[in-house]
Amino acid sequence: MSRLTFENVTVRFGALTAVNDVSLDVPDGMVVGLVGESGSGKTTLARAGVGLTPMQVGRVLLDGVPIPKRGSAGRVQMVFQDPYSSLDPRMRVGDAIAEALPTPIARADRDDHIAHLLDLVNLNPAIGLDYPARLSGGQRQRVAIARALAAQPAVLIADEITSALDVSIQGSILNLIRRLQTELGLTMLFVSHNLAVVRYVAQRMAVMRDGIIVEEGPTAEILEHPHDPYTKELLAAIPGSHLPPKT
Amino acid sequence: MDGLKRVIRTPLGVAALTMLVVVLGLAILAPWLLGAKAATIDTNNLLALPSSAHWVGTDSLGRDLLARTLVATRLSVVLALSATLVSVTLGLILGSAPALLGHRLGRLVTAIVNILVAFPGLLLCLFFAVIFGVGQVGAVFAIGLAGAPTFARLCHTLVAGVEERDYVAAARIAGGSRASVLVRHILPNIAEPMVVQATIGAGSCLLTFSGLSFLGLGVQQPAFDWGRLMNEGLNRIYLNPLAALAPGLFVIMAGLAFNLTGEAIARIFNVETSGSWLASGVVPSQPGVTASAHGIARSDKTVLSVNNLTVDFPGVTPVRGLSFDLHQGEALGIVGESGAGKTLTGLAIAQLIEPPGVVGGDVVFLGETLRSDGGEEQRKLLGTSMALVFQDPLSSFNPVRRVGEQLAEVSRVHQGMTRKVAWKRAVDRLRAVRISDPERRAEQHPHEFSGGMRQRAMIGMGLMASPTLLIADEPTTALDVTVQKQVLDLLDSIRTSEQVALILISHDLTLVGERCERIIVMYAGRVVEDLSADALPVAQHPYTRLLMEAVPTLATDLDQPLAVIPGAQPEPSIEITGCAFAPRCPLADDICRTSSPTLAPVASASGRTRNKRGLDITVQTTRMLLRLNLGGKSTPVHTGRVACWHANEPLPETSQLDDTSPSLPASTESTHDVDETVVTP
Amino acid sequence: MTTLPETSLGQEFLSAGARGWLRFALRRSGQLLVSLWVLVTASFAMIHLIPGDPVRAALGITASQELVETTRAQWGLNDPLPLQYWHFLQGVLTGHLGTSITSRLPVADVISTRLAATAELALAAFVLAVVIAVPIGVAVAVRTRRGRGRALDLGFAGTSIVLGTIPDFLVGVTLVSVFSVGLHWLPVGGRTGMSSAILPVVSLALGPAAVLARIVRVEMLSVLETDYVRTARAKRLSAARIYLGHALPNAVTASLTLGGLMLSGMVAGTVLVESVFAWPGLGSTIVSSILVKDYPMVQGVVLVYGCGVLLINTICDVALAILDPRSTVVR
Repeated sequence: MSRLTFENVTVRFGALTAVNDVSLDVPDGMVVGLVGESGSGKTTLARAGVGLTPMQVGRVLLDGVPIPKRGSAGRVQMVFQDPYSSLDPRMRVGDAIAEALPTPIARADRDDHIAHLLDLVNLNPAIGLDYPARLSGGQRQRVAIARALAAQPAVLIADEITSALDVSIQGSILNLIRRLQTELGLTMLFVSHNLAVVRYVAQRMAVMRDGIIVEEGPTAEILEHPHDPYTKELLAAIPGSHLPPKT
Repeated sequence: MDGLKRVIRTPLGVAALTMLVVVLGLAILAPWLLGAKAATIDTNNLLALPSSAHWVGTDSLGRDLLARTLVATRLSVVLALSATLVSVTLGLILGSAPALLGHRLGRLVTAIVNILVAFPGLLLCLFFAVIFGVGQVGAVFAIGLAGAPTFARLCHTLVAGVEERDYVAAARIAGGSRASVLVRHILPNIAEPMVVQATIGAGSCLLTFSGLSFLGLGVQQPAFDWGRLMNEGLNRIYLNPLAALAPGLFVIMAGLAFNLTGEAIARIFNVETSGSWLASGVVPSQPGVTASAHGIARSDKTVLSVNNLTVDFPGVTPVRGLSFDLHQGEALGIVGESGAGKTLTGLAIAQLIEPPGVVGGDVVFLGETLRSDGGEEQRKLLGTSMALVFQDPLSSFNPVRRVGEQLAEVSRVHQGMTRKVAWKRAVDRLRAVRISDPERRAEQHPHEFSGGMRQRAMIGMGLMASPTLLIADEPTTALDVTVQKQVLDLLDSIRTSEQVALILISHDLTLVGERCERIIVMYAGRVVEDLSADALPVAQHPYTRLLMEAVPTLATDLDQPLAVIPGAQPEPSIEITGCAFAPRCPLADDICRTSSPTLAPVASASGRTRNKRGLDITVQTTRMLLRLNLGGKSTPVHTGRVACWHANEPLPETSQLDDTSPSLPASTESTHDVDETVVTP
Repeated sequence: MTTLPETSLGQEFLSAGARGWLRFALRRSGQLLVSLWVLVTASFAMIHLIPGDPVRAALGITASQELVETTRAQWGLNDPLPLQYWHFLQGVLTGHLGTSITSRLPVADVISTRLAATAELALAAFVLAVVIAVPIGVAVAVRTRRGRGRALDLGFAGTSIVLGTIPDFLVGVTLVSVFSVGLHWLPVGGRTGMSSAILPVVSLALGPAAVLARIVRVEMLSVLETDYVRTARAKRLSAARIYLGHALPNAVTASLTLGGLMLSGMVAGTVLVESVFAWPGLGSTIVSSILVKDYPMVQGVVLVYGCGVLLINTICDVALAILDPRSTVVR
């Protein structure tokens, strides 16, 4: 069992209320998509989920137990948007992954673990000895996922993990996320501005706007019968939603 | 040390290090070799002028001034380094304190440092000199303390910069304490700039110290440093100017030795970060692919005719052989991943490539052949008839000038309008791009606009005159989806109402397919396919087809994995023989890897003998059609051009294409900081 | 600093304008007041931080115990500390800064007679530095853009680094030995009309001019690569309009932050240059006062120098706000 629950979360930055009394449930073994445009508060909510952003009101529960203020000590992990910022340029890939391992382990075991994790994200284990500068964006993002998995998290939060990647790379990361979810039964909050991407990976989704969740439910249902006017507007704005091309 | 080697490789670095070695050498050796001479009192030679025995003369006790100047090196350098040590240590502590102490206390420390840093070092130095009293120990602390705020500020800025990086957040999530994150992740990443700053700081400490001693506030007799010697020499400047100037020269040399060394190291970092003018990825040179004939039907009025367009930068050719015609009111999409050369193509057509970039081929716009050094007439033509819209609407407006002013400038310069009339026109154009309350908006600065509004204002700027061509380079990439739709709708309406031809450059094939009539697909600087938007479902190039299947849409089959294009676009440094896409292509064979396909009309491509599996193609096509919700329509026909040896051959099932071999050459998406490609077996 | 994730910039700043200015004015005045308070408190604390008895130190070992006691009372050092602080604040606000030990003159009077000389020197040097540096920096930037003009680039870098490194008092000494001692063209020191000001002003301006020219060049180079300069080129404006109308204001604005620091550095630089040229300003006063431990005088001059620096910083920030309205927006 691993279930992440946001309970009446409010986050303010000075006069700006980024997240306003949001409650959201990420059920065990499920991917929940969180969709919204820039400024909607989706990233802030995600960061609050791992304790990176302090909440003014509300709490985040893991399996019904509040996560301590100083963070979840690895039980909830996060993968970030920018693969160029998420790996320490001075640290070998393997060391970066090892740092996230829950308990310090023997050298030999450690290397096995790292190799296994790299293999899990379709990377050649030899990459563990490289520095991030030698990796492409897609490879870095895989390493970031491996690092998050190293902590043996109960829940994974993915924040716009494909939006900084080239379109041809994006697909393979999405395939990986789907495969990991079915193989490992991961519970995941998948934050994205891209409805089509969320549709592809998430069983449930929530639409956020101006710090409030305007609609939440099974992905297919929302996409087919959106209730909120904003959700409808979002759907209508997606390129390709009114093919064929005009002449 | 790799860094040292690179410093030595620059002329500046060699000069700097040589001077540094001389200064440090003198500091070590001179007191041993010349200490006695510098202390020898010679009553027969008091205040002697320069001579062959005493090159710089002697002082009031007859001691040789040159020897004293050389011997003074040690004290001067030691004192300067001690003061630097005080500065750097304190600066590091104060600068990294905010990262350790957390929000409230950290902000207090930062505020104090910010107040102190506003006062010039020399002033702080005098203040501390009063407290610590006159003398060399007091001066070390005075200079050290006075320099600390600057170091603290720098250190804090660097720390804050690293703190924002996601790997620090990741380390915190992993349960790292503030101290361990600081030591493991932050400090190693600010080491280089801090070393540079400390080196330059040592230089300025040396100069300040000589200043204090010169004023009589630093080193006191009988000790002497360069400043003290200058102080003593100044009184006799009428008689023996050299007595003051010789130590001065050494001060300058030592100061330069430290400063230049710092500069040299800093320059090496700079060299790596500059080169931004080669904004997009670039590919190695190879003869361009020419294909002037193509199968697209022409309408009467050709607005733009591009023939064999190339863009060259020293050593690389990011755009090679692009040809197309564009007609009045027509919309052409140029699609490709970052680094495909599409942005440079747009800039090249607009004659905005700057040296050392060179544009080859012909661009004929409204009957005029454009030249990069085109005169007044061409400037006027382009200024009134060709409009450009760039990706980031915030950075594309001049931040310090009003929006209205920036629009009005076009009409004032090219149409000779007065300030007043041009302003009215600007307000009118803002209204035309559906900006509400345009009178007030025109008075505002760009930062007061929202993102979508800025982009509309940018389009409005293009409409100040009467454009016949609008080139929009990723105009909506920086915008939200709903805003993107508004901007694209605006472009559509302008195009239809004013018969403006449009070149829409984008990475988004779906978007371009929806908004344009024709699409040019670029890969690694080459055109791989040129087709009408209708024909997208029957696209023939494997790259185009895979691209369509790799990007999820609202119609993507949820039971299938997405298509994957393994690897990435080739690095600019890699020489390509054959088809540039071959290393990533599931259809590639020996021909593809050895010989480059030409862009040829599709008819001939499908007539090739290689293509025997006609039935498969139809099946494949039909499936694609269904997938794209085009069921009701008749099968579209591809009448464009394609550059592929295996055009339209069936692709293997997507499930066989998972990216299990991540060992292909690193991509252009990573050109920011990748020098070498990852080669793993 | 808190990261504000994905704030919609546009919406937030829509109603900027006047409100932004008001907020800026309030914030900046608050900052100025705090800085002033720090300055006043620091100069008050200075005397108390001196190890041992400052009065004994000032009067020397030979002074009679009686004189020391009288002076202590005169300086108010026998009062409780808060009262002393209160009196000091009162004195600062009413312009009573105590009496100089050496000259027996009120500190305020000495300062008022010498302030003009220093201000004149600093201001003239600043104007000279800007007049030299900005055109050179801009011209070199335009000519060394994108790897062009390698020789010019190297020559400029070398010259400006060397000139920027030479401390102003050394420039002074060199100039004196050449133009006064050697050629007898200009007076060695003192303040006797225009000709006597030339060498001090040049000594003070040369180094900062070199540094400023480098800053202007770097800023200009980065401005020339911005998207809005590309927009200006896409508007097909003339080169003059692009460089002077679009690039220069931004480059100058960007240089202003560092330029302000440089100007306040120049104010401090007067201390050394005045000593070289026996220029009767505050700089030579503070040095001689420190040497003879005339603490009331030192206190007063430090206060005046500090206020001058704060004034310059404030002027720079206001100028920046006028030139670039974005800077009124709090990040």
